[in-house]
Parts: sequence; structure tokens; C-alpha cells
Amino acid sequence: MTQTGEERKTVVITGATGGVGRGIALACGEAGWRVWIAARREKEGREVAAEVDERGGQGRFVACDVGEAASAAAAIEAILDADGRLDGVVHNATSGLSPVPVTLAEVSLADFQDHVNVALRALHSLAHASFDALKASQGSFLLMTSEAGFEGKAKLSPYAGVKGAQRGFARALAREWGRDGVRVNSIAPLASTPAMERAFEMDPAMAERILGRNPLRRLGDSTEDIGRAARFLLSDDARYVTGHTLMVDGGSCPAV
Amino acid sequence: MPDPRPLLLASDGDETQALARSLDADFAPLPDVEAPSTFEAWRDDVLADAPRERIVVAQWRPETPPRDLIDVDAAAWAAQFEAPYLLWNFALGAAGRRCADGGAVVAVCQAPAALDAPGRTPEFAIADGVLALVRSVAAAEGPRGVRANLVTTPIGLTGPNPIAPAPPLDGFPGTIESHVAGAVRSFLSRDAAGLTGRVLSADGGRSL
Repeated sequence: MTQTGEERKTVVITGATGGVGRGIALACGEAGWRVWIAARREKEGREVAAEVDERGGQGRFVACDVGEAASAAAAIEAILDADGRLDGVVHNATSGLSPVPVTLAEVSLADFQDHVNVALRALHSLAHASFDALKASQGSFLLMTSEAGFEGKAKLSPYAGVKGAQRGFARALAREWGRDGVRVNSIAPLASTPAMERAFEMDPAMAERILGRNPLRRLGDSTEDIGRAARFLLSDDARYVTGHTLMVDGGSCPAV
Repeated sequence: MPDPRPLLLASDGDETQALARSLDADFAPLPDVEAPSTFEAWRDDVLADAPRERIVVAQWRPETPPRDLIDVDAAAWAAQFEAPYLLWNFALGAAGRRCADGGAVVAVCQAPAALDAPGRTPEFAIADGVLALVRSVAAAEGPRGVRANLVTTPIGLTGPNPIAPAPPLDGFPGTIESHVAGAVRSFLSRDAAGLTGRVLSADGGRSL
């Protein structure tokens, strides 16, 4: 299904230097797409871009601190300057505080704000910066949310809250942007990632809790399970799918 | 014994005062939504007080016309989403922790029905975020027997021309006294002893 020339989609993925973001980038690379890695860490971002090349795509890096509105806007502008089009935006970046266990009654204002900036302010910034380009390409906007956004989390409450808010953002925006042919969807993944491994280290009982309720009894692979599902939602095969949250979690979340 | 009278932690306004009267609740104001720097101290003060058996949290925003997200600039986004959402985090965290063992927390959140979502992205995001926060409180405080649930209402968020079809029940979007308070009382009552992490949309069926 490799695409070349005018068929080649151009997509940008935030937070794609590792984990699920990297998996989405590689899956899009398999389709021959041009994939922009938008991240703060240039060295790691260029390494993933090179991996996209190896999969048959065209990897690119653009510096982006997505929690900063000006940085997000500049990244989209740089992509449009370089490629003249944009077919897909994937917001995958999350706060570095996401796996830190804390209850809602104990979180500091600064930590709450960090979650909100990376998860939601970034969405607002990316949506503003990319809307005209996505309208022109009849493209797709994709958010990486979480099962935590459905069911809440006792010890990851700020993370759960912003993930729920992201899902509401996507459901509402899909109804606005559908008029212009732009689709907006979400994925709630469950994947084996460095962040998940870190969360398991901080809460050893978490692995048993997560896998014990998972019918498939395994975490998803970031590329083959999550990345390819994301690629579907970004592709024309999903052209009649909008406002949807796709659970790519092995059937784990019972709250849906 | 904790005071059985409900405690209403809420922004001050006609709707929340009506809710306080309908529930016969003690009213305690939330901090100014535009002053996030005060949120932590407010939470500390709430947690320093005696536990309460039944706590209701209601943050109410002034009525604003629907506006597409592309017309909501960064400052408006901060005012319409970020500040109220941050306050919800503090209010629900404080309510859940202060609630007495075996007690109940109910959040009352404005939320448009999905059909009316265009122009309401900030409010829609808040509502789904609040649901996740309520479920987080339910999970965190449930081992103490504390229940946490959510009532949503479209009051204050309806546009001039709702998309057809009309809601099944007359009187959309309802009133605090006739549509919202009863749902809150249900969640607060012992009859709801087995319910936690749930949401009731008091919208006359608009969200069907």
C-alpha cells in the first residue's frame, strides 16, 4: 500500500520520539507517507525520522514544544512551508507527569497546569494552526486519549481528567469540522511503551491490574497494533468515520 | 456524626442559589475562577473543616453564545476551558477527600447534548473531563465507602436554534428546581447506595 507522489499523505505527530507516537510514525512510514516528527528532542526525533525512511516513508523532524502555543503554530507553519500541504495531525504528546501516581486531592496547581497545557492547550493551538490546511486536503485530526479518560484513575487522576477532556474536545470538534470535510477522531490505546513501563515500576500492582482484565492478555505493540489503527483513521479508508473514539486496548476497558 | 445536611460548594449565581434552596444545602463559594493562584489555599481550607456526609459541587459559567473553535482565540480558550477546568480539579479533589466515610459526592456540570455540541467545544471538553474526574474520585475514595456521581444539564448552553429533532420531553433545557435538583437528590440518597461513577443527563432526553 506504499504511496508515492501526489498520493503520499503528509502527517505530523506530536510526541513521536518514542512509545505510541513513534509507533504511529513507523506505521505511517510503512504506507509511504511523509511523516513529521514534532518534538522537543531533536536527536531522538531525527532517529525516528530515519526509521520512517527505513519503513518506506519520508521522515522529517520539526522542533515543537507543543504545550507552547507559538511553538505549535510555528511547527505547523514550517511543515506547510516545506510541503505545501497537510493531510493529518496526530496529537500524542502527554505531560511528563502522566505516569506519576497522585490523587486529585493532592495535586499542585503547577502540575495540573502542565497536564492541561500539554493535553488541551496544545489541541487548541494545533487545531487553529492546521484547520485551513486540513480543510484544503479534506484531512484528519487524531487525538490519542486513554481508557483512563473513560473510567478515571484513583492514582492518575489529573491524567484521567485531561484524557476525558480530550475525548469531549474531539467529539465536539468533529461536529464543527465535519461541515468542512475534516474528520476528528480519538484512539484510546493500551500499549507497551517506556511510559507504561515507568508506571509499572512506580506501581508494581498495576501490571497485574491491567493485564488481568485484558481478554487478549497482552499490551499492544506500538506500531503493529496502535500505529496501524491510527493509520486507518488517518487514511481515506476511514473517510466516513468522525467523532469516534476507537478503543485499541485488547478489549481491556470495561467502561465503554 | 457528620452533618447530614448537604454542603454545596459552588460558584455564586442564580442557578447555584436555586440549587442550594432546592437541596436545603449549606452554601460555600468556590474561589474566583479567574484567580487560579488561590485554588490551593482554598482546597487547604476546605480540607481543614469537619467531614460532611453529602457534598455537591457545582461550577456555573455565565451564559455565552456558541462559537466555533476556530473563532475562540487563546485568551478565550484560557477563560472558557482552562480556568474552569482547573477549578473543577480542585473542587472535586477537595469534595472527595472531605466527604465522610460512607458519604456521597455529586457534581453538577453544564454540558450540551451531542447534537448541540457545535460551538461548544470548551464546554463539551470540560464535561467529559469532569466525568473522568468524578470517576477518579469514585475510585480513590470508594474504599472508604464514598460514592461519586455526576449530573449534567444543558441549562445555559442552548443556542437559539437547536438542531431537530426536539427532545422527547417538553420544557427543554429544564430548570434547576424541576429537572436538576431531583437527579442530585437521587444520587445523594441511600437509594443510590450501589451507584458510583455514574452520570445522569438531566436534559429531557436531548442526549438520546
